Amino acid sequence: MVSFVQNLGSSADVVVIDDEASIREGCRQALESEGYRALLADNGIDGLEMVKQVRPRVVLLDLRMPGISGVEVLDRLPGIDPRIIPIVITGYGSVDTAVNSMRRGAFDFISKPFDVDALLNTVGRAMKRYEETVEPQPLAPKAPARPATEPDAILKGLEAVGEFYQAGTQGSLSETLCALESEATYHARKLGRIHEKKKAVGELIEDVHLVDRVVERHDFRKNALIQIMLDLQSEKRWLPRHMLMWLSRRLNIPVARIYEVAHFYEAFSLEPQGAHTVQVCLGTACHVRRGPQLADSISSVLGVKPGGTDDKLQFTLKQVHCLGCCALAPVIKVDETYYGNPSLDDLKAIFASCEKKEQER
Amino acid sequence: MNTKIATKSDLDRVRGEARKARTAKPVEITVCSGTGCLAAKSGGLAAEFDRVVALHDLQHRVEVRRTGCFGFCERGPVVVIHPHNVCYLQVKEADVEEIIARTIVEGETVTRLLYVDDKGRSIRALEDIPFYAKQSRVLLDANTKIDPTSLDDYIAQGGYGALARVLTSMKPEEVVDLVKKSGLRGRGGGGFPTGRKWESTRNAAEKEKYVVVNADEGDPGAYMDRSLLEGNPHSILEGLIIGGYAIGAHQGYIYVRQEYPLAVTNAQLAIDSAREAGLLGKNILGTGFDFDVKVHRGAGAFVSGESTALMRAIEGFVGAPRPKYVHTSEFGLWNKPTTLNNVETWANVPLLVNLGLDQYRAVGTQGSKGTKIFSLVGKVCNTGLVEVPMGMTLREIVYDIGGGIPKGKQLKAVQTGGPSGGFLPASKLDLPVDFDALTEAGSMMGSGGLIVMDEDTCIVDTTRYYVNFLAHESCGQCVPCREGLRQLSKILDNIVAGHGKAGDIEMMEDLCELLEGASLCALGQTAPNPVRSALAHFRAEFDAHILEHRCPSLVCKSLHHYAIDKDRCPGCMLCVSACPTEAISGVRKKPVVLDQAKCIKCGNCMDVCPPKVNAVLKLPGSPKPATQQPVVTT
Amino acid sequence: MNTVRLTIDGKSVEVDKGASVLDAARKAKVDIPTLCHHPKLEPFGACRMCLVEIEKHGRKRTVASCAFPAEDGLVVTSSTPKIERMRKLIVELLWPAYTTPAKGMKIEKSRFTGALPDCSLCGLCVRYCRDVVKKNALYFQGRGVDRCVAFVPGMAHECDSCRACFDLCSSGWVVSRYAAQASADYDERPCFPGMTEC
Repeated sequence: MVSFVQNLGSSADVVVIDDEASIREGCRQALESEGYRALLADNGIDGLEMVKQVRPRVVLLDLRMPGISGVEVLDRLPGIDPRIIPIVITGYGSVDTAVNSMRRGAFDFISKPFDVDALLNTVGRAMKRYEETVEPQPLAPKAPARPATEPDAILKGLEAVGEFYQAGTQGSLSETLCALESEATYHARKLGRIHEKKKAVGELIEDVHLVDRVVERHDFRKNALIQIMLDLQSEKRWLPRHMLMWLSRRLNIPVARIYEVAHFYEAFSLEPQGAHTVQVCLGTACHVRRGPQLADSISSVLGVKPGGTDDKLQFTLKQVHCLGCCALAPVIKVDETYYGNPSLDDLKAIFASCEKKEQER
Repeated sequence: MNTKIATKSDLDRVRGEARKARTAKPVEITVCSGTGCLAAKSGGLAAEFDRVVALHDLQHRVEVRRTGCFGFCERGPVVVIHPHNVCYLQVKEADVEEIIARTIVEGETVTRLLYVDDKGRSIRALEDIPFYAKQSRVLLDANTKIDPTSLDDYIAQGGYGALARVLTSMKPEEVVDLVKKSGLRGRGGGGFPTGRKWESTRNAAEKEKYVVVNADEGDPGAYMDRSLLEGNPHSILEGLIIGGYAIGAHQGYIYVRQEYPLAVTNAQLAIDSAREAGLLGKNILGTGFDFDVKVHRGAGAFVSGESTALMRAIEGFVGAPRPKYVHTSEFGLWNKPTTLNNVETWANVPLLVNLGLDQYRAVGTQGSKGTKIFSLVGKVCNTGLVEVPMGMTLREIVYDIGGGIPKGKQLKAVQTGGPSGGFLPASKLDLPVDFDALTEAGSMMGSGGLIVMDEDTCIVDTTRYYVNFLAHESCGQCVPCREGLRQLSKILDNIVAGHGKAGDIEMMEDLCELLEGASLCALGQTAPNPVRSALAHFRAEFDAHILEHRCPSLVCKSLHHYAIDKDRCPGCMLCVSACPTEAISGVRKKPVVLDQAKCIKCGNCMDVCPPKVNAVLKLPGSPKPATQQPVVTT
Repeated sequence: MNTVRLTIDGKSVEVDKGASVLDAARKAKVDIPTLCHHPKLEPFGACRMCLVEIEKHGRKRTVASCAFPAEDGLVVTSSTPKIERMRKLIVELLWPAYTTPAKGMKIEKSRFTGALPDCSLCGLCVRYCRDVVKKNALYFQGRGVDRCVAFVPGMAHECDSCRACFDLCSSGWVVSRYAAQASADYDERPCFPGMTEC
């Protein structure tokens, strides 16, 4: 586990994240021979924790790891420190993956098996790049009439137009982007935050990346549609419209089929969910042991109708058929914890502790 | 365990090693870790055992083993200690120190945690507890002994021995023949002869074939399959591989409902460890037979448990039944020959191979061989999972094993077969558990849900519950089912609200004829069962609701109300804080006042009012419209 | 042999292998009512109006003739008192969305309410759009008694040039909803237009 990370000293120059011990060791020896301080992690989660604590200049990162993938780590690094220079380690001769990862922010890549000189050369260049990075500008006290990075944004846009046409599309990029903007507006409205379109666009991009990750996990198989949607539901806790449409694009499945599946099954929520889910079991055993009366009580206490969410997006109340804990009937499940035959006082205490959790967040 | 099991002799060797490892430590503490007990906090319990064992430096002598579901869910968490063979019930974290200090170290029994029978005797051994004594736990026994995440444990118990025997010494046709002769019938509810199903799939011309495990278990109140899959996933895998071999399939699927996360996890773990050991994949046990398995999660729809619907879902489409009149043994998954069987059916296969034909057939009735697992739930003292030989009577199950009805109430009905089954009144309690006997009596075996209902259960309300369930779970494709259930639902809603009228029953019977005769799939075709059996055996309750607007069991909300007996109420105000809608108000030492307009009839007030006081009344009909409470004299 | 011979209401008829009992009935000029059937579409089995009684190996069964394959030696009865009762009940249950056969059955009103008034859920629109036109603009939304037909957001305005489902809809839902949906789409244009070629 991660216990050792808490005792780390102030810094290291390079963090190496790779599940293969031989690679980790090889990197460490090479880096230390050149005078760099290196720390090692064998999985993405520990690696990110380490990076947070230690703030290295360079991260050497394996793309294919079990659990949280290298791509996910790559996505999260800028959030920790945008100056960190990531270098990805790729095996299996896949240049596409390497180029893809560079588009996602990697500085360079080295292929396994690599030789020490190539590694040190790349790390050296990365260190130089780190020194050249300008400190991020603090926000100006007044919102400027023209954003300081407008030319950069336009340049990015131009590059995107170029890529779009290179992909061989017949349509118009500006039309698509226009529609995307209105999708962000729709999403913002759905969440009741109409003035936060900027946030909505950010969420849109995050969600689209999430879809890509999950679809890749299932090897882009069309018949894994339901499994993919279950994974998305589990991570995001609901399925916004733009995710379903992007999924349709990625899997090349008509949107109609995806909508049909989304509406058919109980597992999928098409509305934003509350921070806490309360499930009341209405299996036969619970029904016979006064489950419906318990459901009414809970509905009353929370002020939420079954299937609904309260205005503050704190609690979603669901009625489900059979949690399979009939000896505890009538049963409810609040997030991941089960409660058998809770009294009114029990319920009030449970919901109060949920609310406290939200306040602490 | 990373050893490869490439041949039968490898398996024998690993079995020997695993057995040795299991007995390496003299003391074993088994803690039930099925979902039911985990919900009752047995996860923390097992962790506490680990901690205290380590604290007392006993880890070299004591093994703490987390097992599958023990089945005695009413009294969980269940802990059994070997070699003492003592069974402790309803164990809490706070009891652990005492158990370690007294039972493990001193060899004494913690008597207060033992089962006490109705004669006041304490019982030490699990097998002597009445709940267990009459059961035949051939399938479930392993749940109490093995860690479901350990392939070694399964092998130590003889696991994969049946597979080895089949692959090395039997031809596929011989396996099919064995299953045919055994009389094994599908445990998912239909009771179709398993051997015949395997044979049709085997004989289908198309070479590419599939075998599927139906672990959707949609019947509410039934959780047998979950316990099998969570507690002993390898037993299902073994059965599936044997089935694949017999039929000529090389790919299997386990369809598990996503509401069973532990079953999904344990099934996947079992597949991964079996594959790593070489018991799945290419050239199993060196016999040249290739086979692999994938887990597919359901997304929450009862109808997707129907076999053609389930296959559509695996294909990535909406899980609704197909209208075509084809046999899935010829045109199943991706239109290829497929055998779909229930979890319990697959679990019976290695058992059959290990026992042999004669011993297997020695249990059960003429038409129903072997055992059946039931989830005995509802108004019964010993809620839990029970495994009984086919032929045992319902009475024996409910009373001898189930301990009868709690609080001295009278049994009103027993319901089997889930929403496709029927109500069986007390007069039918001597029916044997047998596919044909139950179907003849107007119900069906079903997947194993056995709901016990007492005098406080309203049959009309329960019938409405089933019809409502089906109305929302129907896929909605065909008119008889969708619209038939819509109208049945409406009629029953009206009846329980006190708006029933003459002609309602006749209309329900007409709708039932349509549902049975015209529906596209078995969901619609069997939907009449709860209605018809309720009308056949409990007509009087329907008449009371419709003609007298009265609910004899005082369940239907619009037909009863609560009232405070002013003469008995001492004003202790316990009920005031128990009321979720603040409908009760008052001052200390004066009788409380119930605001009928706010009352949602949850019954909390009646629950908390001390039995000696008994000041809350449940009365038939609507409350008097006066703003003051009626003065009731007793 | 590539054909099969069966008897429907006493008439002997020969059809190609793979044809349905309904096809055979049509060939033999035996009238069987249908709602959700269409020659260009796979049998859907939703309306159950086409129920017939078949006899095979001495066993009688009621089946949907649109989905049951014609077989050699099959004896088919297109209508029995029980089947007539069931057909009448189906018309009543769908009232007023499906009134075409009502006069022939002497039904003028229904004892029931609560079904969708302008949609029998025959699925002709959804299926035709999906399998013939291949635009996938419509889908079945929901399950059981909550089931209805819906346009995929953003697709309705693309239907202007097609409208093939308009003629197929006998109860009027698709025509009445189309305009409202196209207008809603314009207000809330969803992302990623041009999804039709998926």
